[in-house]
Amino acid sequence: MKLGEVVARLGLELVGQTGRLDREVTGGYASDLLSDVMANAREGNVWVTLQIHQNVVAVATLKELAGIIIVNGRKPEPEVLAKAEQEGVPVMLTGMPAFEVAGRLYETGIRGNAK
Amino acid sequence: MATDRSYTKIQELTYELKVRDAMVGNVATVSPGQPIRDLRDLMRKRRISGAPVVENGRVVGVISIEDYIKCLAQGEMDVPVAERMTGRVETLYADEPLVHAVRKFDQYGFGRFPVVERDSRELVGIITKGNIIRCLLRKLEIEYREEEIHQYRASHIFEDIVADRTNLVLKYDIAGGDFDRAGESASRLKKALHRLGIEPGVLRRIAIAAFEAEMNVIVFTDGGQLAASVCSERVTVTATDSGPGIADIEQAMQPSFSTAPDWVRELGFGAGMGLCNIKNCTDAMNLASEVGRGTTLEAVVYLGRGKAGMEPEAADARA
Amino acid sequence: MTLEEIGQTIEAEVLTGQDRLRDEVAVGCAADLMSDVLAFARSDAILLTGLANRQVIYTADVAGISAVCIIRGKKPDQPTVELARQKGQVLMTTRLPMFVCCGRLFAKGLPGLGYLDISKGDGDR
Repeated sequence: MKLGEVVARLGLELVGQTGRLDREVTGGYASDLLSDVMANAREGNVWVTLQIHQNVVAVATLKELAGIIIVNGRKPEPEVLAKAEQEGVPVMLTGMPAFEVAGRLYETGIRGNAK
Repeated sequence: MATDRSYTKIQELTYELKVRDAMVGNVATVSPGQPIRDLRDLMRKRRISGAPVVENGRVVGVISIEDYIKCLAQGEMDVPVAERMTGRVETLYADEPLVHAVRKFDQYGFGRFPVVERDSRELVGIITKGNIIRCLLRKLEIEYREEEIHQYRASHIFEDIVADRTNLVLKYDIAGGDFDRAGESASRLKKALHRLGIEPGVLRRIAIAAFEAEMNVIVFTDGGQLAASVCSERVTVTATDSGPGIADIEQAMQPSFSTAPDWVRELGFGAGMGLCNIKNCTDAMNLASEVGRGTTLEAVVYLGRGKAGMEPEAADARA
Repeated sequence: MTLEEIGQTIEAEVLTGQDRLRDEVAVGCAADLMSDVLAFARSDAILLTGLANRQVIYTADVAGISAVCIIRGKKPDQPTVELARQKGQVLMTTRLPMFVCCGRLFAKGLPGLGYLDISKGDGDR
């Protein structure tokens, strides 16, 4: 499934960066621990987190993730969004909690990473 | 539902209690060779309506007041007990759960069962429905009293202790940097306030504020103190430390603003929500700090009503 | 959904509270940041978290949550398990990642907390 379809299906708010919405999502990863995402997320994963720290953009870039879905109604600072824009990382916002976002992504057929 | 709970409680007790707990010992017995007329004095003196018939320590039958009345009507007072007793005796073992006795009363419709030891078959007591009911009531009463003592309410303290104002202060020391024990003080405080009978929704808000405050002291300072001051209308949580202080309080209060080191974030804290959480779950919050001198955080939760500005019903529905 | 069903759905091993698996929970709550748990979680939730330290147990205790599942194959140490037991919590572990746990439970009908707004907070729900 393409990232753009995920945005539409879950009703996410996309901030900035619309260029790479045609990217194929390879799977989902939900975590708020950056070291864990560094270790276990896979390229092309859509990342579900409530972290809005500057470092999330760096992690998403390094791991070549398809995008970041920020949950619980949180909004990153403008500097963080600017950095995401600059790195070409799509950032999506939602008032849903991580449990539900992951649940709905799973419902659309997106799976976790196989061991 | 209270009725459901007490119903289940009784069911539980019938499994937990044994026949031995409910039976009456020191049983009045007769021997098979005694004449029926002997029953008269026995029943009158002991105020019983039947007795087991025992031979060599074993129960061989039961004789009841009905049997006696029949004999009386037919003028057979010298007939031996053995000839008029009910011979095939149903007994209960002393170590059986009470629920077995209840079932047996239902099944046979008898008024009483002799109780014997499982191994020796020796008669040790007798049990009636009345004995079972009395035993359950006694046990329930004890448990109720224990529960009442356990749930001694804060309101009782404030009613019982006569003073113009009563204030109970609970203090907990917090070691700075001791992340392993982080949360312990708030958890202990919650337990203590629960014992004082603070209502769960309110208790939760106080505990959350205390937990976040404790976390701040542990992560950012060399240690301090957590205190809760309880009076009849409110609980005030105070966290104090002696440094390093907060330079810009307004900034510190911003959601997601954080100066926490990465290791704290990796442990699940330090995302800059602590102070917001405290503010959101209490009725009033005050933060005073001086760089190099320390910080005092005070948060108030009013008892007996919802969060300020909210209808109590709405607060309950969300609790 | 009962804790037993939850345990089976996410292939969890139950470490404490085996006698309470017939208890029901109404919602799922997934977070690795404890402040968000404190801000949003309800006492009828099961907490899914990748943390395995004692603060998870303290957080659940303070928030009134009595069921916790530690995910991503992390194993709590003995003092943490003991603390959970003391606090009367049902503690489970599973090797599955967070995304899969949420996905499977949501698919089985366990809802999330609904729309939230961190800026308003919700410490009293």
